[in-house]
Amino acid sequence: MRHTQEHTVTALVHNEHGTLNRMISLFRRRGFSLSSLAVGDCEEPGLSRMSIVVNADDNMLRQCVMQLEKAVDVVSVESLDGKEYVHRELAFIQVEAPPEKRSEIIDISRVLNCEIVHLGLKTMTVQVVANARKIQGLIRLLEPYGIKKIVRSGTVAMSAEE
Amino acid sequence: MEALALHGVDIIFGYPGGVVLPLYDEMTRWPAIQHVLVRHEQCAAHMADGYARSTGKVGVCLATSGPGATNLVTGIATAIMDSIPMVAITGQVNSWAVGTDAFQETDIQGITIPITKHKYLVLDVDDLHPALVDAFHLANTGRKGPVLVDIPKDVFTAMSSVPFPTEIVRRGYRAAAATNDTAIETAAKLVAEAKKPVIIAGAGVVWSETHQALADLAAKADLPIINSLLGLGSIDRQNERSLGMMGMHGEAVGTLAVQEADLLIGIGIRFDDRLTGIVAGFAPNAKIVHFDLDPSEFAKVVETTLCVPGDLSETLPAFTAAVAPKVNDEWWAKLRGWQEEFPLVIPDSAGLMARHVLQMLDRTTNSDAIISTDVGQHQMWTAQLYRFKRPFQWLSSGGLGTMGFGFPAAMGAAFANPKQEVWAVVGDGGFQMTLQELQTAVEHKLNVKICLVNNGYLGMVRQWQELFFENRYSHVAMGSPDYGKLAEAYGVTFFRCSTREDLESTFQQARAADGPVLVEFLVEMEENVFPMVPAGKANDQVQMDPGLPKDKAPMGIPA
Repeated sequence: MRHTQEHTVTALVHNEHGTLNRMISLFRRRGFSLSSLAVGDCEEPGLSRMSIVVNADDNMLRQCVMQLEKAVDVVSVESLDGKEYVHRELAFIQVEAPPEKRSEIIDISRVLNCEIVHLGLKTMTVQVVANARKIQGLIRLLEPYGIKKIVRSGTVAMSAEE
Repeated sequence: MEALALHGVDIIFGYPGGVVLPLYDEMTRWPAIQHVLVRHEQCAAHMADGYARSTGKVGVCLATSGPGATNLVTGIATAIMDSIPMVAITGQVNSWAVGTDAFQETDIQGITIPITKHKYLVLDVDDLHPALVDAFHLANTGRKGPVLVDIPKDVFTAMSSVPFPTEIVRRGYRAAAATNDTAIETAAKLVAEAKKPVIIAGAGVVWSETHQALADLAAKADLPIINSLLGLGSIDRQNERSLGMMGMHGEAVGTLAVQEADLLIGIGIRFDDRLTGIVAGFAPNAKIVHFDLDPSEFAKVVETTLCVPGDLSETLPAFTAAVAPKVNDEWWAKLRGWQEEFPLVIPDSAGLMARHVLQMLDRTTNSDAIISTDVGQHQMWTAQLYRFKRPFQWLSSGGLGTMGFGFPAAMGAAFANPKQEVWAVVGDGGFQMTLQELQTAVEHKLNVKICLVNNGYLGMVRQWQELFFENRYSHVAMGSPDYGKLAEAYGVTFFRCSTREDLESTFQQARAADGPVLVEFLVEMEENVFPMVPAGKANDQVQMDPGLPKDKAPMGIPA
């Protein structure tokens, strides 16, 4: 088994009926392991940009990029490996927060530049925008308080232009 | 219909139903486009496929929504595996009913995503013309393949004033990878350095119609040409430099040549597992050069020394021009030795064998007929023994291995080539999957001839059970109806042959008969296909034919 690691790829795709379905089908069929997928509108009407994080060895990554480029739905593909790029993921973490624990959680959030986006009688919801590893770190810090729910957006990424 | 006429479509293979009624109504006003009413939609797809494989043009099939559409699936999957240009049009329930589980609604788009090059669901009539224009363009450019256009009933009846697009601009679609002159020069250098070069030529040569460039290349640099299964016809089998097919049941010389080669040039092939055997043991001493227009094929299966991207119609003539003339006498002496030592064996037995039938088919038709097959032993024997002369002469489901393909594919070819002799070589297993199309053939007085090799078994499965499951035959004995009575019921001309003495005269009578002809050959029941590389083994484990005339080691390559 060759060494696999996470690679980030972006794809500009036609925003047509079934495009997302076809992209997902391609990953499933070829056995590419998808860690994260985020899709949204982009600067051009009729097109979307996908940020894809795939867990693969070098050969699988190459195949993945080739297969994406071959798909008729895809306009262009950019592999961000070895390039300078920015990448972030957004997560909401809903954590048990009885009144006596609130200030501790607020402290943790503040240190890590997170925002409290909802405060309920028994819970708080923390919003974090960071890379996946940082989000994982925050989750570990909040686990002792009792995590009720986590929602993550998947990573979005963009190569850094000069 | 106007869009279809615009694309030069002269024939559609289809089956009507509720939601395509408006299209069928319109069809009556377009006499220039022939519609062939099949008996099962799967065969509509296979006929469109056979039409495409025998002409190089896009085949068109048509089915209604729901079960009509799902019946096309095997035919579409067959086409994508072998990169066949096809447009499949399916009816869909009214656009406002899509998603409500309406009568005969199925998500054919979703179902066919992995087996189409692209697909369209046309919800607005203004999108219909552009979608059809795109579909034909995509199907027949670059790496060819089937494209599905799903059209709701109300879109068929709606009117559009949008003119046909005159220009096809699809951003990001590149038919072929850009060519690379340096790669071609490097490849030419490798040829100059090589002492034991071989070429494996595949269907890419057929579809790019570069067979002449291939023959020129072989002559200029004195290169042996091996074919993949679907590459047959890319070089005249009687060309002195053609070594026939290699692979699981390829001729021994090809397999041995690749094992010993120091340079292997794959041209328009995808290094299928039936050709390579276990990849680790494939061409162990060779630098591998790969010519293909689809870069996703590069290094997909085998590690490659050099990739030469681009459409073969550009790269192959350039490569031919770039190589220096040379001769490989020593290498050829070795190849000829192998050919002599391990020929294909045609036993001189008293009883009729499938190999006698297929050799006679080749002789009696002067290697000139269009030949289709089903899948299995008869397919391999045909590939071994029929000496194909030209591209678009050989129709066989190589990738998907679809039983039941042979007869309808031959029909598609016969519709496309009414003046040519067309033979479907089928086994008793595969033929029973699609023989209902006899009725279609009769109605059209179609000149299609069926060479039914009846051994009473699913022969290839039986062979594996014999060789790898210690003769435990599990559900491979296959009964058949009385084919004479069947032919009579359909009104098909029928011949039966069970002896070698009658073989030639049977073929002569069958060839002389007009319209559909069914010829049943009752052959030896337990005949095996050799050579054989067992599945999951490396090519050096090739098992030679135990019936070889001399006392050769039947297992493995002799030292």
